[in-house]
Amino acid sequence: MSRPPSGNWLRGTVIRKGGSSVGNTRTSTPQIQSTSSTVFGGGVKDASGRVSEYSSMDDTCPVCKSDRYLNPKLRLLVSACYHKMCESCIDRLFTLGPAPCPICGKILRKLAFTPQTFEDLGVEKEVAIRRRIAKEFNKRREDFADLHSYNDYLEMVEDITFNLINDIDIPDTEARIAAYRRENAALIELNVQREEQYQKYLKEQEEAERQEREQIALELRRLEEEEREERAKERREIIDKLETSDKDAAKLVARSRADALRRAHARSSSSTVANARLQRSRTAQSAVVADVPHVPLQDDWYTYEDKFVLRDDYDDPASEAVRRDRDGIMRAGGYRVEEAWERALRSAVAGLEIMPLQGLSNEDSAHPNG
Amino acid sequence: MAAGQPSHANAEASSSKHSIYEASTQYRHWRFSPEQLVDTRASLNAAAVSVIRDAFEADEARSSTTVSFLDANEESLLVKLYVGKVSQLCGHFRFPEEVEATAMSYLKRFYLKNTVMDWHPKNVMLTALFLATKTTNNPIPVDTYASHIPKTQPSDVLDLEFLVAQSLGFDFAVWHAHRALWGMSLDIQVLPELTREEVHRVYQIALNHVRASRLTDAELIFTPAQIALACLSLASPHLAVSWTRLKLAEDADMLLSAIQPIKDMVVAHGSSPDVEAVRDVDRRLKLCKNPEKVMGSRAYMKKQQEAERRADEKRKRKAAEVRRAMEEGDPFGSELARDGAMDDDDDDD
Repeated sequence: MSRPPSGNWLRGTVIRKGGSSVGNTRTSTPQIQSTSSTVFGGGVKDASGRVSEYSSMDDTCPVCKSDRYLNPKLRLLVSACYHKMCESCIDRLFTLGPAPCPICGKILRKLAFTPQTFEDLGVEKEVAIRRRIAKEFNKRREDFADLHSYNDYLEMVEDITFNLINDIDIPDTEARIAAYRRENAALIELNVQREEQYQKYLKEQEEAERQEREQIALELRRLEEEEREERAKERREIIDKLETSDKDAAKLVARSRADALRRAHARSSSSTVANARLQRSRTAQSAVVADVPHVPLQDDWYTYEDKFVLRDDYDDPASEAVRRDRDGIMRAGGYRVEEAWERALRSAVAGLEIMPLQGLSNEDSAHPNG
Repeated sequence: MAAGQPSHANAEASSSKHSIYEASTQYRHWRFSPEQLVDTRASLNAAAVSVIRDAFEADEARSSTTVSFLDANEESLLVKLYVGKVSQLCGHFRFPEEVEATAMSYLKRFYLKNTVMDWHPKNVMLTALFLATKTTNNPIPVDTYASHIPKTQPSDVLDLEFLVAQSLGFDFAVWHAHRALWGMSLDIQVLPELTREEVHRVYQIALNHVRASRLTDAELIFTPAQIALACLSLASPHLAVSWTRLKLAEDADMLLSAIQPIKDMVVAHGSSPDVEAVRDVDRRLKLCKNPEKVMGSRAYMKKQQEAERRADEKRKRKAAEVRRAMEEGDPFGSELARDGAMDDDDDDD
């Protein structure tokens, strides 16, 4: 489950009303026209911070029984006890302060109504509960000594969530949550801060990237401008020259063209330099992880590297033919005479110091399969 | 192999690390002391003689008393003759030296696990050489191979192939002295005051000594580099001394004295055995061959029948098991524990 952006899951700060929003890109989301003067918060926001509301043609308010046929502007909202009501009913019942829900009798307040995002209210409820739980149960893997205890913690969180969603042992579960909150107040606060910092960091990075892009665009615009000016100047010059000078017109034009070309070339190269600098700074930012060189073989065999030095050339009749082969036909398979030499040199010194066995002592280890 | 651990030439480098040569199967499985070699061959011979004696007795009572079996020395003499034959054959096929050396090693190793009275080296030699062409990446079609050897069918070569490979413990990689000598011939070029002709002359002489060393047991006792050094020392003692001093500094003298036995071995045993003596051994071998391995003999028939009977018994038992399982309604048998008798059917032949 994704973490809520920041702790405003029940505040109506970001919500935009359908009527006021223009240029909506999500054509599939119907825009709801509110008949109430109250701004209801909550609901599930999409990536652009907009709440997409669920509505259908056969919506009926369960309280006043009015439907979309009678009232095309019908907007159903969801109460804290997950019952639907139309805006006019909410205005009628809760304007004078907290009142019992007409369906289940729970005391409700007007501002605790939220727009409906999902068709299934069970999902609506689950999402809201998970948000609430995630806000307080925000421990991370680093907060635990081992994976086992972390998994236990996740299991506990899931238990509590499940209980809340399915209304099992609500008082008991709420008590557990309260106890947890008391015990971990400092850690929760710390993790909230951490999360905020991370969000801030992400935002900053985004901002930096955006600025960079702007910079590049600006640069390009400037170059274009310059180029245009230059071309205009050039044209003027040619006309001036043609007026004043008595040289061959074609030659003059050709020379100024060549000049222009040279200047354009210089410009483009200077801009590529700037681009390269940008590119470099970006790679410098992203190169955080040190690249450890890969060692393919790790064993402790002694290969006599200190006992021989491979020279570039030997007087070696055995490999004469291969070395003379100018077309490389004999080396087509990747044969390198240096490797053959190295192997020979190594085998010349390998095992020189290993003295022969004596007596019958370690007969068994000498040929275990014998 | 702690007991065989030498006092290392460069203690600081190899105290924590093991020489790469010690990783080879040649070091781990095919390195013996001279005493071990004698002992292995003697016990192998004794075991073979007692088995074959029993076979003779089973064939015909009191027939073994007249047979004179080969002893361990006669066996090695015969093997040595056929080791020498490998190089003739390789000359005929123009196989590289690596094939020749590998085949010779295989043949010697094979007869540390088997006796010539069971498997005649004439046949084993052909198989060992054919196997060596494959393991050294110089393959030749078996038909071509067999057609160049008189009175040999491809099946003669292939029938023994698995037996040979199994006796070798599938240790096909061999470290050769001639490669070490090649390395030395390259490396002595760093020594001052050495003409090109001198290097070539010494190399050729030393190479001939290396070839001679293949007829001896040197490779089963010493490392290839030591054999190469001994051969170099036979060709040019002062070159060998100065090269060793350059490589090993203070341990050089110890090494130079340690390779003395190789030199003696190459000089004393580095030539093909006397043909007359071998012919006598071969004649006696015809009489004392393991009758169970001679096609057409009574013991061979008996052994075949015995094998047949056992296979038949096994087949019947398996069929009965299957039938019983089918009758009980479960074609795959029931619990594994009850069908313990099925276990010995895994080694299907």
